[in-house]
Amino acid sequence: MVAGGLALAFIVFWLAGHPGFREERIVMFLAITIMASTLIYFIRLANRGEKFHLRSIPGLKAVEEAVGRSTEMGKPVLYVPGIMDMDQVETVAGVIILGHVAKMTARYETSLNVPVSRSIVMKAGREIARESYTMEGRPDLFQDDMVHYLTDDQFAYAAGVNGIMVREKPAACLYMGKFYAESLILAETGNSIGAIQIAGTASQAQIPFFVTACDYTLIGEEFFAASAYLSQKPELLGGLKGQDMLKAFVTAAILLSLFLRVFSDLGWIGWNVIDFLTVQ
Amino acid sequence: MMKYIIELILSIGKVDRRWIFLVIGLAVLLPLFFPLGLPIRATTATQRVYDAVEELEPNSKVLVSFEYGPSTKPEIHPMAIAILRHLFTNSQKVYVTCLWPDGQFMAEDALTEIAEEEYGLTYGEDYVLLGFRPGNEAVVKGLVSNIRKLYTTDARGTLVDQIPMMANVNKVKDFDFIFSASAGYPGTIEWVQYAADPTGVPMSTGTTSIQVNDVMPYVQSGQVKGILAGMPGAAEYEALIGSPGIGTSGMDAQSIAHLVIVLFIVFGNITYFIETRRAKKY
Amino acid sequence: MLWKRQIPILIATVVGLLTLFGWFIDNPGIESFVNDDATQWFDILASFAIFLGALNLMKLQGRKVLKQHSGWQYSLFAIGGFIFAIVAGFIYKGNDAVAWGVHVTSKGTLFKWMFDFIFTPLSATMFALLAFFVASASYRAFRVRNLEATLLLVSGMIIMVGRVPLGSSISSWFIMYLLVLVGSVAANIKFQDKIITFGVLLGGVVIVTIWGSLAGWPVDQPSIFYLPMLQDWIYNNPNVAGARAIMIGIGLGIFATSIRYILGVEKSYIGE
Repeated sequence: MVAGGLALAFIVFWLAGHPGFREERIVMFLAITIMASTLIYFIRLANRGEKFHLRSIPGLKAVEEAVGRSTEMGKPVLYVPGIMDMDQVETVAGVIILGHVAKMTARYETSLNVPVSRSIVMKAGREIARESYTMEGRPDLFQDDMVHYLTDDQFAYAAGVNGIMVREKPAACLYMGKFYAESLILAETGNSIGAIQIAGTASQAQIPFFVTACDYTLIGEEFFAASAYLSQKPELLGGLKGQDMLKAFVTAAILLSLFLRVFSDLGWIGWNVIDFLTVQ
Repeated sequence: MMKYIIELILSIGKVDRRWIFLVIGLAVLLPLFFPLGLPIRATTATQRVYDAVEELEPNSKVLVSFEYGPSTKPEIHPMAIAILRHLFTNSQKVYVTCLWPDGQFMAEDALTEIAEEEYGLTYGEDYVLLGFRPGNEAVVKGLVSNIRKLYTTDARGTLVDQIPMMANVNKVKDFDFIFSASAGYPGTIEWVQYAADPTGVPMSTGTTSIQVNDVMPYVQSGQVKGILAGMPGAAEYEALIGSPGIGTSGMDAQSIAHLVIVLFIVFGNITYFIETRRAKKY
Repeated sequence: MLWKRQIPILIATVVGLLTLFGWFIDNPGIESFVNDDATQWFDILASFAIFLGALNLMKLQGRKVLKQHSGWQYSLFAIGGFIFAIVAGFIYKGNDAVAWGVHVTSKGTLFKWMFDFIFTPLSATMFALLAFFVASASYRAFRVRNLEATLLLVSGMIIMVGRVPLGSSISSWFIMYLLVLVGSVAANIKFQDKIITFGVLLGGVVIVTIWGSLAGWPVDQPSIFYLPMLQDWIYNNPNVAGARAIMIGIGLGIFATSIRYILGVEKSYIGE
């Protein structure tokens, strides 16, 4: 009903001359609206009890094993939430996964070391980790300095994290967030100390380095799906399903656009789909 | 004899990685002292950048943005120097901005070396360093709408209104060309998305080799006119402008280093192959 | 509870929706907020937040020195470096001819000296580590385990050699002879017959030699075996195709995740 009401309101607004609306961006507006509606639909579906099948992601299953391994060896878990600030979606996703990892370390009484590159990430990470420890009934184990600031500079941060790895020799290294060139430096150093390494990033250029040097890698969407996997919350799982449907829509749109472009180039139709899809 | 060779290969296959580091170190160092002079062939992507710059009318207004720091200086600085040389040779007016704070240091070095010392140009009339402003893509968006809202003074503290070449330059559309020397975020992609594509101002870029993957879709779609890919791209551009520099001198070292890595990979696979066959046998 | 949960979610929702849909609204005030103010507010917040991080850093390093934990001597460098940067940035210019602010990039100042002779070599050194780590990672990881790994290995080698000037000096005929050799090794593994192996090797060598002689041994022909051409093709076709696909997936992931934050479906970032 709400969706129908909003759609009707927009149609009325459009027919009334759409004052203040950039007409040339209507295609993008409709695309965003349809995509958001799809996500909301599947989230609501999941909240009503619908079950969705998710394929297993080895990297996520391995997180608990990695924490367990650290517990057995009496070594800390090193968690690196990327080098960017909270304005990046990947960093927020990385901090959320930190919350889940912190629950595991609280449960197994393993020490957790989270060096960060930005002050706001430090504050957010501390809040989430503190909540996680409290929810596990172990607020006594949490210390503020578990999540500590190193430096904003990319390679100084890499040097600092490498130093922590070489000195403390964590048994598990988790890299979850946005990374740039320092990714291989971190991963190779982690490999040299014999730690189990799990990486997750949507930084496309760094994925090959993590795949090469880490034991498990969450690639792109798998990284964003991690929060849903680890929490198993229905609304998050519904969002994942919605995301998959969006990908199917996008694939269909690409194929349709391909055919329309071919027809346009052959002169069979007088309408260029590229002009329609180009965002101004 | 064969058995001895196989055992030798297997023992070398388990070599400590520090030996690999030593060999790579020598492979990079020795060609710097004993250059090989390997010929440099420009790729299509580099040629497109050259052609885009060459096609500009003299006295065109070119916005050059420095988005790299000391760590990526070996890759990007040579191409920035080469681009500046090309622009100044063709009598273009160069406006320099920086989206990274480190970029301002790099820009100062490049402009001192090329504009001041090599070409003897006049600051404020032939080139200007607007400098760094924080805000990442907000800076690009600000430049698109109103430069003077972001830059009231240049990097040397002079009021922008008092700089002769800033007359009638108020937004990105007033420029004839954009070049982004970029090592990451914010950089080329932000310039394409928020400046070049919406305004229609032609743009080229030079990036680190690893970033080329990210930028290539924009190059292929024509939104970016060519790309200088890392140090090889810089060397190719230096060859095209006929002015070999640091990029060219680094190519011998890079060539040998790449060859050594390939040989290590081949060697590692021979070892893997022998071990696999043995495991199957026993 | 209201301050810790509902208000942050409300702020995230309102600002998120405004930023998302503000792009479609033709209003200078909203445009200005979306394009300039929102990101600048964040930058201002992040800049002031640096004090938190810096204080935390000094607290940890100072505690290490005072309690003389293992490696406390290195903490002296951290504290000393911090103080030195503060002095160079805010207290001592080193060149009275330049104004404060401009002094960070001006010649002859302490800050510029620190940037040129401490920060630059350190950054360049850390980045240079990648050269060594790429070599050791490649040596360890590039193995012919299956078809996909083999394709990765071969394309990686083609790009590594084809991208540099050395690749353009390697004739396509050399590559063809190399392929004949690889073919004969493969034939030997498959058929385990010396005659077949020798036949493949000899046949291949003869064909390539005759072909080359007739063509005049041009370095870059046939172009399918010329490493720079092959490298260009791999870069511009399968590589970009794969990169585009991953980019689309990542873009959708970012969109879906952002919508979850904006709509308040995902609340973990403010704690559960």
